[in-house]
Amino acid sequence: MSLNKNSRFYFFLLWVHLYGFSQVPLPAQDSILTENLDEVVVSATRTLRQLSSLPLPVTLVSAQQIRRTGVTRLNEILNEQTGILVVPDATIGGGEGVQIQGIASDYVLVLIDGVPVVGRSSGNLDLSRLAVGNIAQVEIVKGPSSSLFGSEALGGVINIITEDPKSETISGQLAHRAASFNNQNTSLNLGQKAGPFSYGVFLDRLSTDGFDLAPGQEGQTVNPFVNYTLNGRVRWQAGEKLKLLATGRYFSQEFDISPSNSEETDFNLLLRAEHDPSERFNVQYEFYFTRYTTNENALDPLDETLLLENDFDQRLLRPEVRLSYSFTPGNTLTTGAGMNFERLERSLFSSSPRFDSQYIFAQYDFTPLRALNLILGARFDHHSEYNSQFSPKASARYDLSRALSLKASVGSGFKAPDFRQLYLDFTNASGGGYSVMGKEVEAAGIRQLLDAGQVAGLAVPLEDLGERLDAERSVGINLGLRYQKGKWTTELNFFRNDFRNLIDTRILATKTNGQGVFGYLNREEVFTQGAELDLRIAPLENLSVSAGYQLLFAYDKEKQREVERGEVFVRDPETLETVRLGRPDYFGLENRSRHSLNLKAFYELPSLDAFANLRVVYRSRFGLTDRNGNDLLDVFDDSFVKGYALVNLAFGKTFFDHYELQFGANNLLDFKGNNPLAAQDSELLVNPGIQLFARVSFEF
Amino acid sequence: MSVLTAAFLLLTFVSCSDDDPAPGTEFSIASVSPESGTVGTEVVITGTGFPEEATGLQLTFGGVSAPIVSLTPTRITTTVPSGATSGEIRLSADGFSVPAPGSFTVLSDLVSTTYSNLPAPQTGGQGEPVGGPFTRFSFETGEITESETEWDIAFRGTTIAVNGGVATGTADEPVRNGEAGATLVSGLFDEVASAAGLSFAQDAVGAFAIPSGSGAGWYNYNPATFTINPIPGAVLVFRTHDGKVAKVEILSYYRDAPAQPNAFTDEARVYTFRYVYNPNEGETQLN
Repeated sequence: MSLNKNSRFYFFLLWVHLYGFSQVPLPAQDSILTENLDEVVVSATRTLRQLSSLPLPVTLVSAQQIRRTGVTRLNEILNEQTGILVVPDATIGGGEGVQIQGIASDYVLVLIDGVPVVGRSSGNLDLSRLAVGNIAQVEIVKGPSSSLFGSEALGGVINIITEDPKSETISGQLAHRAASFNNQNTSLNLGQKAGPFSYGVFLDRLSTDGFDLAPGQEGQTVNPFVNYTLNGRVRWQAGEKLKLLATGRYFSQEFDISPSNSEETDFNLLLRAEHDPSERFNVQYEFYFTRYTTNENALDPLDETLLLENDFDQRLLRPEVRLSYSFTPGNTLTTGAGMNFERLERSLFSSSPRFDSQYIFAQYDFTPLRALNLILGARFDHHSEYNSQFSPKASARYDLSRALSLKASVGSGFKAPDFRQLYLDFTNASGGGYSVMGKEVEAAGIRQLLDAGQVAGLAVPLEDLGERLDAERSVGINLGLRYQKGKWTTELNFFRNDFRNLIDTRILATKTNGQGVFGYLNREEVFTQGAELDLRIAPLENLSVSAGYQLLFAYDKEKQREVERGEVFVRDPETLETVRLGRPDYFGLENRSRHSLNLKAFYELPSLDAFANLRVVYRSRFGLTDRNGNDLLDVFDDSFVKGYALVNLAFGKTFFDHYELQFGANNLLDFKGNNPLAAQDSELLVNPGIQLFARVSFEF
Repeated sequence: MSVLTAAFLLLTFVSCSDDDPAPGTEFSIASVSPESGTVGTEVVITGTGFPEEATGLQLTFGGVSAPIVSLTPTRITTTVPSGATSGEIRLSADGFSVPAPGSFTVLSDLVSTTYSNLPAPQTGGQGEPVGGPFTRFSFETGEITESETEWDIAFRGTTIAVNGGVATGTADEPVRNGEAGATLVSGLFDEVASAAGLSFAQDAVGAFAIPSGSGAGWYNYNPATFTINPIPGAVLVFRTHDGKVAKVEILSYYRDAPAQPNAFTDEARVYTFRYVYNPNEGETQLN
């Protein structure tokens, strides 16, 4: 038996050496991390669980890692984690979105302290909104987690855990970071624990001149902006058995695109009472409110007339109660129930829609055998605007030996149709006069157009309009192995995510102006599958090295079938000859790289009170869009970005105990790349190039 | 022997050969396949008693001599000769001559060509009602036509109208007075060998025979590049205003068919398309 295990072990080593690698749990050197928090996560089960014992794939990014790299925003640090890519939106000029296991950011739930961040633009949540100066750790649970978190948790959950002050005296940090493109970031983070109270305040200001990826074109890719984050928290140990927590966050951002303006605000307030009636019993009462607004006015640069007004005001109110009961250590039942009240006001909507939903969930985390941990959970969501959803999940972990464990989890996820897909009523006057109508307004909207004599032809029979949209659904399977011995940690995970009912647009009618009226329907089926491999090692006491690799296949199932049936063709743009597309010619979903790789090394020099780190992130070739008219990305499309690597470097040293000076470079090799969608005779870059930074901080 | 006797004897000999045919000198034709074809079409003639050698054998299509491709006593393969006219096929040898049953129709050649840069301007759009005259095209002449009646298809922006059915209801549409129709076939252009069995739609109130809109008809609109791209493998098959058939593959919507059209610099609403037109009435062959 032991021989067997050894040979398995060597097989893993070989595998690791051959195929590459992920992230390092850094030694807890930061005095703030006295509880060794970087080993414990809450997002996977909604109870505190040791990271290394979990049956599902979880990535943890420690505050230490964030500080050492000198990054200031969440998107920057996530891009360095295995299987997580921060990718530009498929359309030109779009934002960036996170991609987990090949799943787009629309299907990734982002939480702060367990409660959701709202405010997406075309489904994309802009992670650069989230400053990382006051966080304890970032937890990323891969695979569907709707059994605990409900809508949007298909591809995974990113949970940002903010820091809870532990020091009895006022402590904190004042820092300023200056970087290329006149990127100026000032932050103040302070907190104190005073008797039963603790409080924390975080202030952050970021401004930049932005940058331009299309030097030949008018305007900038990222316009100059300034944003402020204000975060406050108070915790009160009201009694031996009662804890109260209040946190608030306000974010405000303004873009300078004179004469137009674009403003964005994000507010959230969380009140939580935690009551332990007995040692085994824990009850949490939670009240959460968040509001996200944008105010955009696009003005004509010449005569300053209003071209487009786009105001957006989304609110979510969520009371939730959670109970957990430990029968014995390792056997915990967690249940919860809550309600969502959502409201949106948007200038492109004909009404101010409201969503009400109620939900209940339960999870049993138990160890039937000493080496076996099972987690069974399910959640039921009832919603006012679409069909109710039931989301089960099962995870298991079996320890083959002290060092080697098997992990498996199967879960389902769903994403509710969003406000846009239900209520948008938009006619683009400046962009050709096409219209887009949400499901709830399409029947009335088309009738209105018919009455006005504006419909030339109906593509969908009238009686078929307004049928309810279903939630988008997924089933995700993760199968993995974890090997941990001494300074080695190796994790291998195979994943498969099957999506159905994805909401797609279709043409509803043609207008007499020749333009279309578009609506939404559940249609697409896609899958992503692949493998992730992580290797972490600390070869020297002060050196930790990690490598991560993801292999990814992501396809639209219907398109794959069409290609197999020989129904998809491609035209050679030069000869104009049409040929049938072969099976290997279908490249798969847009913006997916077959291979992605990261290599990281963090080095500490305690004798000099200094540190250094080097991180390399690589992604292989990916395509941006169909260009040859067959509505899928094939190898003949001239829209591929070549594979590239970003090399990031940071050094730091502490002076006089309290001052730290840090400098470094992101994209050290000054990679700029070439976006094939550039207009003729001009260039469009993929990356603005090297970004140097220096940061000085005062610790108190 | 008198001349009369000699003539009698000769006559007897000839009539004798009628009664008792010698191989290679007397034959009959049972069938011709196909019974119509363009110049160059291979035609098989079956029968009995064909001569063993092609020397002295003459085959004519409406009086024009045709080449013998292969020959057996029961089967002759030939091709429709250039200059042939519709009418009788006749086989002659050694002074003996028989017509084939029925008559052979020589068909006009299929027209296979590419039309470059057909302008299809439109007014309106951008939220305003679309208007402006369609550019009308005739397969028979292979040119844009000003005729109000002798046109088959017409272009305006991304819209293609046919000379059949009725106006859909947009402004400035041409009057439909023919029997044209259209249908969309998915496949390689060369694989669409015949229009037999296809059913053609005509323009109707509220709907063009070729559906308009991205992905619905002949093109996809790409929101990332703002370009109109013809869907590869979308073959438009038409019945013309006078009942003939044609197939069309649209190659580009931009002037001079650039390999990667630029929505901002290339002139749009300029069609380049290739087509095959069968000018023969009642014929459905498209290759």
